Amino acid sequence: MAGSNEVNRNESKMVVPLNTWVLISNFKLAYNLLRRPDGTFNRHLAEFLDRKVPANATSVDGVFSFDVFINRSTSLLSRIYRPAHGEEPQINIADLEKPMTAEVVPVIIFFHGGSFAHSSANSTIYDTLCRRLVGICKAVVVSVNYRRAPENRYPCAYDDGWAALNWVNSRTWLQSKDSKVHIYLAGDSSGGNIVHHVALQAVESNIEVLGNILLNPMFGGEERTESEKRFDGKYFVTIRDRDWYWRAFLPEGEDRDHPACNPFGPKGKILEGIKFPKSLVVVAGLDLIQDWQLAYVKGLEKAGQKVKLLYLEKATIGFYLLPNNNHFYTVMDEISAFVDSNC
Amino acid sequence: MNKRNHQDTSGGAGYGGIRKSDFQSMSCGKAKIWEEEQDAGGGGGGGVDELLAVLGYKVKCSEMTDVADKLEQLEIVMGAAPNLLRDTVHYNPSDLSGWLQSMLSELNNSPNTFHDRMLQSHHIDDPLRVPAESSSVNTNSQQQQFETTQSSRIYNDDSEYDLRAIPGSAAYPQTQDRERNQKRVKTSGGSNSAPPLLPSSSPIVGVAAAGTVSEPTRSIVLVDSHETGVQLVHTLMACAEAVQQDNLKLADALVKHVELLAASQAGAMGKVATYFAEALARRIYKIYPQDCLDASYSDILQMHFYETCPYLKFAHFTANQAILEAFATASKVHVIDFGLKQGMQWPALIQALALRPGGPPVFRLTGIGPPQADNTDALQQVGWKLAQLAEAIGVEFQFRGFVATSLADIDPPMVDIRPDEVVAVNSVFELHPMLARPGAIDKVLSSIKSMKPKIFTIVEQEANHNGPVFVERFTEALHYYSSLFDSLEGSGLVPPTQDLLMSEVYLGEQICNVVASDGADRVERHETLSQWRVRMGTAGFEPVHLGSNAFKQASMLLALFAGGDGYRVEENNGCLMLGWHTRPLIATSAWQLIVSDSP
Repeated sequence: MAGSNEVNRNESKMVVPLNTWVLISNFKLAYNLLRRPDGTFNRHLAEFLDRKVPANATSVDGVFSFDVFINRSTSLLSRIYRPAHGEEPQINIADLEKPMTAEVVPVIIFFHGGSFAHSSANSTIYDTLCRRLVGICKAVVVSVNYRRAPENRYPCAYDDGWAALNWVNSRTWLQSKDSKVHIYLAGDSSGGNIVHHVALQAVESNIEVLGNILLNPMFGGEERTESEKRFDGKYFVTIRDRDWYWRAFLPEGEDRDHPACNPFGPKGKILEGIKFPKSLVVVAGLDLIQDWQLAYVKGLEKAGQKVKLLYLEKATIGFYLLPNNNHFYTVMDEISAFVDSNC
Repeated sequence: MNKRNHQDTSGGAGYGGIRKSDFQSMSCGKAKIWEEEQDAGGGGGGGVDELLAVLGYKVKCSEMTDVADKLEQLEIVMGAAPNLLRDTVHYNPSDLSGWLQSMLSELNNSPNTFHDRMLQSHHIDDPLRVPAESSSVNTNSQQQQFETTQSSRIYNDDSEYDLRAIPGSAAYPQTQDRERNQKRVKTSGGSNSAPPLLPSSSPIVGVAAAGTVSEPTRSIVLVDSHETGVQLVHTLMACAEAVQQDNLKLADALVKHVELLAASQAGAMGKVATYFAEALARRIYKIYPQDCLDASYSDILQMHFYETCPYLKFAHFTANQAILEAFATASKVHVIDFGLKQGMQWPALIQALALRPGGPPVFRLTGIGPPQADNTDALQQVGWKLAQLAEAIGVEFQFRGFVATSLADIDPPMVDIRPDEVVAVNSVFELHPMLARPGAIDKVLSSIKSMKPKIFTIVEQEANHNGPVFVERFTEALHYYSSLFDSLEGSGLVPPTQDLLMSEVYLGEQICNVVASDGADRVERHETLSQWRVRMGTAGFEPVHLGSNAFKQASMLLALFAGGDGYRVEENNGCLMLGWHTRPLIATSAWQLIVSDSP
């Protein structure tokens, strides 16, 4: 019974620090408890187990946050993170939405991961990540609490992302000195997937997005790629769980070549000739869906779009959740440079 | 801080040369220093992994390997028989070690069941084989069938039940579960040599975001900017500042301006602003509210509040869950309710006791309440109604009412605890007023201890409205009541009902007290769960955790509520909170006396 399973466990333990291994294994265990074979999801238990943290208008390490309704009628909330500028730690409620003082303020619209089913904008892991992004990019971060699968399938998450983009774009207090909002889209896992689709919609509607940041983005397809076969079950993730999440997100009856899952697949959109934002795509070398992520990068290149691939050979999923490894710092530096260079 | 960690990494771009232990020391390094400074008595491993703590998980550095081992063991089990843990009740997920251990214990304690299930799912020889969708344990109905054929120890929390009565069977753990429950509470870690992860006197009172333990968290949910009336808020804040600086002329001008703006502000914000303005005006003109509201009037207001929104129902429901679990097999039980009011909490408990497998216990209720202006015996009236209900459903019931101006006046012998009964003390929003007079809360907690309760349930507002600085208190309250009023608005009652209007008055009275009163008159001294945890720990209590079953049932209850879309239940270190969207508003916690480890 031990057999190959034991080898797998030892392998994943060798490539990440122990506390990272514990964290990601904990998620893996919890998520296994939540996914039911019939495609339903134990949402109550998911919410019970998820560690959450409230917004905090008192600045901590130079960042304060508050939650806003993007859309009251759909209860679409976002958490806004802003840098504190040496004011009193307690930000006055009336000043939460006061205009920025800097010449140029990047606004990063962030979509958390969780394979479309897990986590929220107020999940502690994502609250922590967003706070870091504020610091390294000197940006305002807007973390969107999009609707999740399986209760809300495609295109709900994209619709919510689109609503958030429009909301951000129309806030005068988020404008830089040139009276424009400087928007970047960022996300990990399913959030990375959402970034692509929202950016596409932005282009079609003439809203300028300055850049896309995709961290271990979630893509897939009907074909079983080499990396999926090679890494199945080895580094916290299995083909089976990936299939489950796509079945939960995609419209019933659709397969994984649906363009939401496989944007450069047989049913994908042509991106040639359109003004798609430049992209930074981070791929973990031990992520089983890396072939799809690399195909995404190739797809962008072939369409003449600007894309930078950051391939981290020995990284697993979730490496960016804890600041205890080189990959983490490499990626943070790259993101910082990416958001900075264009402004 | 990040950069410092970076430099700790033994150089080089490659990963392979770095040993596991290097990274372990990176995150536990600080914790180790902390441990030395702390002089943690009795047992090693006081340091908690800081990086995981920031993310909401408390794992002692010394336990990290053990926790990893547990994860591996569980993974083997899950791979072999994925449905084994589907009906487990979970507690306190922040305590990873305890959480994992409780799942392992559940599996290890019933080897026959485990074996049978393994056979059933045909997985003994190949744990890697994917269980077919048609396997007998996969569907819910078959699962239930399967459950009943075993003498199932893992109680099914998928049962359908009438939510108006607290579900009987789901609330009663089997005996072994209850023992495991108690073990879980006593030593949250898997290893028995280490002291409990959350010793009562520990300064780690809950996992906060990095660096926030000293500063209060101010959680805000805003509506869309156009609705907030930014100018309204600006003016309110300016007025509060002026009041604090004793610049009463300016404050007067500002408060009049607020009233003007509030009158033309639609929705919750306008109402909240009006109440805050009125409270500010009272403070400016020194028209302090009368000493307590007539008790019967405030009861009536609370009744309306009870009907309009789920906060009180949640409070009663979750407290009752904890009480039922504590009463699981007792034959004589005694509940001491610190604020009987209309007794709304108790019919559901009586019903649940009636449904108890094995029959109901003898149920004594001691209800405490303030003196009535018209000298009527309100307590007896309530007691009488409850007695009629109890008789109708076959629960032996005794009631005693106690009039007390303050809970601090209560003398334990008065309450007549009998030696053979299991005691629960219940306080829904009754503890914070004790903070208005020095020494009162300590006296009350001390009295409770001498009653030797099996469980002490506390529900309190999740806010700090007791800070010494007026403007801070004012700001906190403004956020808090804005969310509360917003949630009332969400109930979508158009035109507003009597209940809704009276609920607003009820909350308005609280606002008035927080803003306009001081000294012994200011009784709405709400404090956060974190603050109460410290106080309870110091007083000699330790937490009894509320679990995923209570969480789920509370969530389902909320979904039944009109306009219930925005209500959220959250788990916080074994306690449950009810909030409006992302803003927690009330917290239910349960406590027991710290039991010493010596036999």
